[in-house]
Formats: sequence, structure tokens, C-alpha cells
Amino acid sequence: MSTLWTRRSVLTAVGAGAAAALGIELVRNEDWSRAFVDGAERLTLRTQRLILAKRPLAREFSQAEVSAHFPVNGSRVAPGADYQRMVESGFRDWRLRVHGLVRQPLALSLQDLKRLAMRSQITMHACDEGWNAIGQWGGVPLGLLLTMAGVVASAKYVVFHCLDKKDSNGEFYYESLDLFDAYHPQTILAYEMNGKPLPVGHGAPLRLRVETQIGYKNAKYVDRVEVVDRLTGFGKGRGGWWEDSDNALWYAGQ
Amino acid sequence: MDLSGNLTDETYRHPLPVRLWHWLTAATVLGLLFTGICILNVHPRLYWGEVGNEGTAAVVGLDPAGPAVAGHAAPAVLNIGHAKFDVTGITGVPFDYGNDGTYFMIFNAPESWHFGGLRAWHFALAWVLVTAAAAYAVYLLLSRRLGRMWLPTSAQLAPAAIRRDFWQHLTLRRADDRQYNLLQKLAYLAVLGLLLPLMVLTGLTMSNAVTLRFPELFTLFGGRESARTLHALFAALMILFILVHVFQSFVAGIVNQLGAMLTGYYRLHKETP
Repeated sequence: MSTLWTRRSVLTAVGAGAAAALGIELVRNEDWSRAFVDGAERLTLRTQRLILAKRPLAREFSQAEVSAHFPVNGSRVAPGADYQRMVESGFRDWRLRVHGLVRQPLALSLQDLKRLAMRSQITMHACDEGWNAIGQWGGVPLGLLLTMAGVVASAKYVVFHCLDKKDSNGEFYYESLDLFDAYHPQTILAYEMNGKPLPVGHGAPLRLRVETQIGYKNAKYVDRVEVVDRLTGFGKGRGGWWEDSDNALWYAGQ
Repeated sequence: MDLSGNLTDETYRHPLPVRLWHWLTAATVLGLLFTGICILNVHPRLYWGEVGNEGTAAVVGLDPAGPAVAGHAAPAVLNIGHAKFDVTGITGVPFDYGNDGTYFMIFNAPESWHFGGLRAWHFALAWVLVTAAAAYAVYLLLSRRLGRMWLPTSAQLAPAAIRRDFWQHLTLRRADDRQYNLLQKLAYLAVLGLLLPLMVLTGLTMSNAVTLRFPELFTLFGGRESARTLHALFAALMILFILVHVFQSFVAGIVNQLGAMLTGYYRLHKETP
């Protein structure tokens, strides 16, 4: 048909071809992909901060709703004989350190932590894989520890250094939050689960509960809390183990 | 080139915003479906209600049915309600996540694609979809295209016309193409006005931060896991729409249809007496 090679169809073909090439390059080019995905992450963070401005609380459930089975995910235990000895001694000689950009670094035993104001909450843990479970968590509000340590004005993030490794030759697990989520009233360092001391599978001696974000942000086996002004310098600098190794989103409020 | 009949007048049917939106959304939806299926495959069990995990019953689930034997496909069972179907070797091979257990993958995304990265893409594409759909909805209203092209006319709603429209679809005969036909209009309205918002809302019900502010979403969809199950169901409906949409383009004349969505110009068919 003579109309096949009109000016219109040639222009259309050029335009459509260019658009398709750009789309393919967006997926293929790592820098472009990262810019696109990081841009969307910032947009999500800003939007969700807007709707969370009044700091609403996550739903809390009744005792009857606590899941009979709460899957153990990620690491099942921290490696090494030192950890085994800590478990056997009930973490008697272990200390949680809070340090970095603080006026008064802390070193607190499990007993010290239990003497502080305890917050108990029955909340839903939602894994990014798609499953969830409801559990009761008891622990110290992170905000209380940060206030005790006196966070300096330049601080922006809190990094959680953990005792576990996702693979035996790899780096220790770590995670991080910004101060907004760190000071959320339901963000706690839990030493108790379902009324009992936190089991090894769920991250003894201490695990983070951050109800504003998804499963992998809730670091287990927390050993050290470091207050920082930037996330570079830890792992690959993306703010957490999954973020570094699996391109997982650092802000996981989605 | 057109094999589908006698063509007469050309009409400018799809202005540039329509065409841009159509192709951008087509690419975005395909990307969302693809990343969505990859995400579902990591935990291929769907639940009803608030809670769902390996310890609770699934509405639909793909489960291992015994230990894997070297050199053979691992036994797998598909549960739909109480019915069990042996799908060994059909639904793909097990993928060992080490600590995180073994899952049966319909489609095994290579590890180098990164599960976390696929999720990040899913949410980034969702922003594109929502932004483009919102802009398009505004365009449809302001340009009055919604009233002119999308809303059924009173003539189309006459019982005889409805019967004729159904009959034409069932017999795969081309409808009068001077305007969108009734079922076409209803399909577009349902997808953009109902299915898309429901996909977005069920997706947002899986967001910790969004549901902190809008816990009503849980009530609306009957719980977090119900929302996930509905999200998968709506995705399946979206796939169905795409299949029918493409099939209909072939019935109506793919060259003319595709050409119109690229150049804007549609060639009307001579009315058959």
C-alpha cells in the first residue's frame, strides 16, 4: 500500500523506536536503573513521611491473635563459639553498646535494659516475601536509649550492628534507620517475645522492632547501635546487608 | 497491507497524549506483572484473612511434597482449597534460598536479578503507572474524551443494541467502528476505573507505612493477606484483559489498530449493509 512510507509513518517509526531504545536502556544500564529506582525510593520516602507526619501507631493485636507459628527467617543462629557461650550464660557478660555521634556512649547489660521503661506490643511482622505473623514483643524504646545517650545535632541515622552472618564467609548483618523511624514510639529493641526471653532463632539477645517498615529492617542479634551522619563506610554504603547484596530498598515502608 | 476488509475514510482517533499514555502504560503494566510474578514466586502461597505463613492453611499454594531426589524434579503439589494436584515438574524447579527454605518457582528469576531489586522495580513502576493514570484521567475529563468516546451512548444501551453487540463479539464479527462498541467501552471503563484503582489499593494495603495512616484498608480488603491474594487475583484479571485486548485488535484488523495507536489515524471500515 502506498501509504506505508508516508512522512507520518516514518516519523512515528523513528519516535517509537527511540522510545523503545530508551526503555530498554533504562533496564539494561545499571546507572540508569539505579537512578530510576533510587528516585522512586526517595519519592516514596517523602510521600510516606508526609502521611506519617502525625506519627500514627501501627495496629496492635490482642493476646488471642498471637500466631501459634512464627516462622524463623534469615539467620537461625549467630556463628561462633563466643555466641554459644553467651547463650549458655544467658548473655550475662554481654553489653549493648550505643555509641557514635552521642554525648554519652552507653554499655548496658540485659539486666540494665530490663530495668528501663519497657514497652510491650503485639504487632504484625510482614516479610517482604509475602507472609506475615503476629507476635508479642517486649523491650526498650530505641528513642529512650538515644535520649539517654544524647544524640548530637549532626546525627542522621542509626546503624544496627549484628552478631549474625547471612553467609558464613560474608559480612556481619547490619541495618539502619533514619531518626524519624528510630524515634517512633513503637520502634523498640526487644528482649522478649511472646512473654518469654527472645529465642535464639528470633535474634537473642536483642532484636529491632520497627513497625513502620517491612521484615528485613527488623534486625536480629543486635549487638551495637551506632549513631552516624552518613551511611557510607558500612558494607557497600547502602545502609544494610540486603540493601548491599540484594539491591533491597533501604527505605522499606512500602 | 490491511487484510481485513474495505477501508474508507481516515479519522484522527488517538491524539498524542492518548498514544503516549497507552504505550507507557503497556510497558509499565508488563513490567509490573513480570516483577509481580517474580515476587509471588518467592512465597507462592495465597491466604485469606489477616495472617498467612508456612504454618497456616493457604487458599492456593504451591508446596513441596517430599524430599528432592537427585536428577529428578522435586515433587510438588498445588493446593486449591482442599483439592490437591500433583504438579511435579510442571511448575518449575525448587530454588534453595539456604536459610530461607525451598520454594517452587513457576519462573526462576536468576539470582543475579536480586529479589530485593525486583521489588524496588515493582514499586518504581507503580509510581509511573499511578502518575500516568492520574494524568490520563484528568486528560479524559478535560478533553471531554471520556464523554465522547468512553461513555456508552443511549443508542448503545438499547436492549436490541446490547444483544447485537454481544452477538457480534461471540461470532467474532467486527462491530461498527465509527465509535468504540459497548463492550469495548465497558471494558476500558472497568479496567481504568475499577481494576487499576483496586490493584493500587490492594498493593498499598501491603505497605506498613501506608496502613499506619490508613488502617481502614485492612477492613476494606479483609486483612493484609486477603489484600495480597486479591492483588494476585486482580493481576490475573489484568492479564486476561491484555489477552482479550490484543486478540480483539487482531479481530478488528491489527495493522489498522496498531497503526492508529502509533500515528493517531484510524481508517474506518465501510458500513456493511
